[in-house]
Amino acid sequence: MKKKGKLTVTITMGIACFALVMVMFMQFKIVSETDITSIETMREEELRTELANWKDKYQEANNQYEEKNQKLQEYKDKEASNAESSELIQKELDQVNVVLGKTDVEGEGITITLKDSDDVEVGKITSDNLLSIVNALKLAGAEAISINEERIINMSDIVTVNLTVIKVNQQRILSPYIIKAIGNQTYLESSLLGNGGYIDQLKKIGHDVSIEKSTKNNKIKIPKYNKEITTKYMK
Amino acid sequence: MVLFAIILGCLLGAIIGINAPMISYTYSSYLAIAIIAALDSVFGGIASVINKKFDMKIFISGFFGNAILAILLTVLGQKLNVDIYLAAIVVFVWRMFMNLGTIRRYYVEKWTDQLVKKKENKEESSQKQKEN
Repeated sequence: MKKKGKLTVTITMGIACFALVMVMFMQFKIVSETDITSIETMREEELRTELANWKDKYQEANNQYEEKNQKLQEYKDKEASNAESSELIQKELDQVNVVLGKTDVEGEGITITLKDSDDVEVGKITSDNLLSIVNALKLAGAEAISINEERIINMSDIVTVNLTVIKVNQQRILSPYIIKAIGNQTYLESSLLGNGGYIDQLKKIGHDVSIEKSTKNNKIKIPKYNKEITTKYMK
Repeated sequence: MVLFAIILGCLLGAIIGINAPMISYTYSSYLAIAIIAALDSVFGGIASVINKKFDMKIFISGFFGNAILAILLTVLGQKLNVDIYLAAIVVFVWRMFMNLGTIRRYYVEKWTDQLVKKKENKEESSQKQKEN
């Protein structure tokens, strides 16, 4: 009886130990071989924590992305405004150049041709005559004037030297004198012709003066002022 | 004899356990708590063998009952979102130490008894020699 009991105990304990150690080793294997970070093996709460972490990270990254995007937008805006302002400045510069006479221009207008008369009584065309015509043209709103391809700008001079030589822009000019003016044809013409117009007066004296209007196909072309505009005393 | 059975069981278990198929990580917490319960049962069984109070029915019912109860508690704890398995582990480990204490006491007493007997025998023999 006693021996049988002891045998039972032995077998039972053996089986118990067998089962225990088997399960233990299975567990060891699971723990050692399981990649804790792989999603399939994770428990729900771990997954939840991980998900929350990733969400946080995503949120953070998204915020940063938006911030950077905003900055980029700002820079782009700045660039655009810069380009706009530079374009504006360029336009202004062009306009100024046109007005100053630094560019060749063309447009509708009139051409006046004056020739020195051979008649001694009538006499030659003087710088005063030219100056008066230029003034009349300016009065009529001429935007650009030239005499014998010499552009008249605000610094231009029209003078007679030694009572014989007419100089425009310090260049000597000779007959025939061709004055070109860009502006409203009607205004320009009427300021010179008409009752008491300067050209009329010259014609009455006996000078050979003709006025020619530009056509659509044959526009008045006025060259640029071909000297440097320098300032020394002006600041 | 019992010790031999335990070692044999352990060896066989280790060999089969290493070659056993993988179980999903999801069940590893239940398995762990079952292992603790079974370990407690085995120590309890050894202790009862030493105390000569071993009852096979009690041992087997305890072996499986404790493991199953521990697993059920763990499941319940997960459902309730309370870590009940910690309580189970505490209880099992505490009982393990108690049983280990019983086993240790038995063997320590046994060895001290043997030592005392040896000393007595020596003294007796030396007295006999002196007498002679």
